[in-house]
Amino acid sequence: MAPAVLIIVVLRLWPLLLGVNFSFTGDGDRNGTAVGFDNYVELLSDPLFRTALGNVGLLVVLLPVAVAIPGLLATFIYLRVPGNRVYRSVYFFPAVLSPVIVGAIFNLILAFDGPLNTLLGTIGLGPVDWLGDPGVAMFTVVGVHIWATFGMALVVFLAGFSTLDSALLDAARVDGASLPQTIWHVIIPGLSRTIQFVFVTTMIGMLTSMFGLLYVMTAGGPEGSTYLPEFYIWTQQGQMNRPALASAASTVLFLIMLVVGLAQMSVLRRAGRED
Amino acid sequence: MPGKRLGRWAAAVPMAALALATIYPLVFTTNVAMKTRREYILDRFSPASSLQVDNISAAWNSVGMARYFANSVIVVAFSVLLLLLFGSMAGFALSQLRFRGSKVLFLGCLAALLIPFQVIMVPLARVMADTGLIDTYPGLILAYVAQFLPFTIFLMTSHYRTIPAEIVHAARIDGNTTYGVYRRIMIPLGAPALLSVGILDTLFCWNDVLISLVMMPSAEHRTLMVGVTSLRGQYSDDIPTFASGVLIAAIPVLLLYLFLQRQIADGVTAGSTKG
Amino acid sequence: MKQRTLWSVALISGLALAGCGSAAPTGSSSGASSSGASKSKLVVWDWKSGDKNVASYVEKAKADFAKKHPDVTVEFVAQPFDQYYTLLGAAIQSGKGPDVMLFNGGGQIRDRVDALLPLDEYVAEDKQRLAGWDAFGKDGKVYAAPVTLQGHPIYYNKALYEKAGLDPEKPPKTWDELMSDCAAIKKAGAKCFALGNKEGIGIQFWLSGLGSGILTPKEYDDWIAGKRDWASPDVKQVFKLWKEVNDNGLNNDGANSTAMFNDAFSVFDAGKAAHIIGLMSDVGHWKDFGEFLGDKVGVMQAPVVTAGAEPSLPYDGGIGYAVAKWTKDPKSAADLVRSLTSTDALNAFYTGAGAIASDTTIDVSQAPPAVSTIVSQLKSGKPALHVALSSKTVDLMGRLSQKVLSGSASVDEAVKQLAASDRAG
Repeated sequence: MAPAVLIIVVLRLWPLLLGVNFSFTGDGDRNGTAVGFDNYVELLSDPLFRTALGNVGLLVVLLPVAVAIPGLLATFIYLRVPGNRVYRSVYFFPAVLSPVIVGAIFNLILAFDGPLNTLLGTIGLGPVDWLGDPGVAMFTVVGVHIWATFGMALVVFLAGFSTLDSALLDAARVDGASLPQTIWHVIIPGLSRTIQFVFVTTMIGMLTSMFGLLYVMTAGGPEGSTYLPEFYIWTQQGQMNRPALASAASTVLFLIMLVVGLAQMSVLRRAGRED
Repeated sequence: MPGKRLGRWAAAVPMAALALATIYPLVFTTNVAMKTRREYILDRFSPASSLQVDNISAAWNSVGMARYFANSVIVVAFSVLLLLLFGSMAGFALSQLRFRGSKVLFLGCLAALLIPFQVIMVPLARVMADTGLIDTYPGLILAYVAQFLPFTIFLMTSHYRTIPAEIVHAARIDGNTTYGVYRRIMIPLGAPALLSVGILDTLFCWNDVLISLVMMPSAEHRTLMVGVTSLRGQYSDDIPTFASGVLIAAIPVLLLYLFLQRQIADGVTAGSTKG
Repeated sequence: MKQRTLWSVALISGLALAGCGSAAPTGSSSGASSSGASKSKLVVWDWKSGDKNVASYVEKAKADFAKKHPDVTVEFVAQPFDQYYTLLGAAIQSGKGPDVMLFNGGGQIRDRVDALLPLDEYVAEDKQRLAGWDAFGKDGKVYAAPVTLQGHPIYYNKALYEKAGLDPEKPPKTWDELMSDCAAIKKAGAKCFALGNKEGIGIQFWLSGLGSGILTPKEYDDWIAGKRDWASPDVKQVFKLWKEVNDNGLNNDGANSTAMFNDAFSVFDAGKAAHIIGLMSDVGHWKDFGEFLGDKVGVMQAPVVTAGAEPSLPYDGGIGYAVAKWTKDPKSAADLVRSLTSTDALNAFYTGAGAIASDTTIDVSQAPPAVSTIVSQLKSGKPALHVALSSKTVDLMGRLSQKVLSGSASVDEAVKQLAASDRAG
């Protein structure tokens, strides 16, 4: 335990504190001087940073979708849909590729004149500007993120199913329950712990590791609609050469993560108690 | 029930489509890697005109990939070993040894899990520079351990929680010390989880670009993914060479995954199932 | 209970030490390189030296430097460009980094001069021979020596002109001529402009590429000097035409999701659009396009929109090498920069990578006509309009330009916001 604590404290929490301290100093000409809350005021008045925070909210809202998709797929595999063995191995593939590569490939597929729009065109649907329409782009990126990571959650679900009492499922079938009914009344209660675990890990994945994908696919655009706080920090730090402002944004991001994380923990703990 | 069977096939069609969608990027990348730059620019999606591997050998020879490969293997191997060691010990302590502050430590660990790397990047680089660890193998290894340890602990703790306290008690009565319990009970029982966390940690470390870049800036210390990323200049459009680099980097992890597929499935799940 | 915990802590930290111990040897074997032998070493950071087509440039520069300093070794570290300035920022803040580093001209270097060594005393001899110094200077001091020139010529596809029944040797001189030519090209089945605005870069090229035909000479010079009149109808005209061209379907589809690098260039390469505002160095230049279009690559001047405008080639210093303040041996570092900008080396850069090098003595008489057109325009050329803006304003302009194209912001609104951002500095 001791080395683990030591490493976490020295190499994660201590830099975090240094960063917080740094966020109260100025940039450029005011380098090193204390400026109080100036950086924070500037942050809150920056519409880009507000968009970034809004997108965090969107991610939290989309979280259940990211959990439900692998859950549903696992259900089908468990119910022995034809070809389930193949799916089981193949669905994990994207998780092996780094986000930079996944993003680069999807850039081509989702291009305005790319194959997806061609496909849509042949079945009579108009082209969608997947990465160029500010109302669509964020959903596109989240969709690709889910695509790239659902394999891991799927595997977790499958193992959860192996502990499910198959007698219950048989009983449901005999009673003539429909698929949605079976899922709602048998599978969800039976897998509550698995679902909790997937919720926590998926949330962490969405909130901390979308950067690579975002960077390659939209770089915050179009019209700044896909900014996330990490990306904001990155631009301020590098291109804009505003390290202190970036530190302030980092502090805000960490506080948000803490609040979201703790809220989720407490919700899950309450759910766990009912279980 | 014919209706049921029909329903299964109805689910199988989209699932097969999804399976294709998960394999396609790899096929696409391989295809691009075999194209010439000219072929690629004129048409990205058509099949390569010949099965040539010039790009792959060019990518391998261009920037000392062999050296980078070795660096990656060294760094990832030590990082993962340390992660597993510290992670399992901490997981054991947090799940089975009730001591004062264990709850606080667990929460602290979760909080650390929620810090995106961009947030602490610059302060961490400073800490590393102050301690002389920047641009050394131990420095990067420590940075990786710090980055992924919270996740490892989280997974190991939830896995060890499924081991009934009675087993630990019985072992104690048999005269085992804490270390004895760790060695004789926790390591063997945790093996599947250790294996899968190990593979996930390997994936994270292997695919990382940013941490490696910041912590090991000099050329001879580069890791493979950094080498691959730098195959693209500011505007370089020699995508086939880049795709070749991507393949070189992805093949080892793909092989690793295919070999250990079953263990991953068993292990990831170990933490989530009912004990 | 407590004792047990203590015991486990002690034991586990012992194990940890063992773990660290096993990690240490790999570290110490590599640690030797940083302490170094008796030979001193200069480390160079850039994002170029890894490219195949600049290999001979790096060779020439190294050879030139080795003649002057045989006892100093040079190590080139090619960084991925995406992370370059962030890495540099981290290096600057931790005070440990390369001795010599590559910069883009303009804001990128000006924002970081605190970490750089003024080079004036070392490069005095090169001042005449090289062009593009302004992009690397601040407050009267020079911080880097230019390697390439970067600018925005308008390239056109002569084959498409022929196909549309136009004279490929007579590109349009005014906006009206351009529009009627575009109508003919549209009939022939191609788009008028290849435009990529995914990164918000399309508008930068647009502003600089067409600006000299839209602003009056006085407005242009004032803009560069920092007296920018955003209320002027000519400035608004830049953004009006930006919208008009797109609304009339003259651009390739989905400009907001087409990356300038390198999707828009591919559109032009593949002959799907007749014009593109391109670059002079790096990519998207005569050599790149020539690879696909052969001798059908033409270069034209900005069409005249406003009466009295004098079209000129917009260009600045492209990339240049600078010396870090913290280097132990400023003299050899500066000499390395001089070697990196020697005529021999730059000539290799020009022939290898097709860049328009900063060295004005390089002989281009053997080059394709597109190059001689560009080089002949260098004398009358002026700094590019977008380079004069702060990085913050350029970033905002990128986002607003996307909004203007998609219709979620009007031209008036965009210009108003840009004016405010420009005034705020």
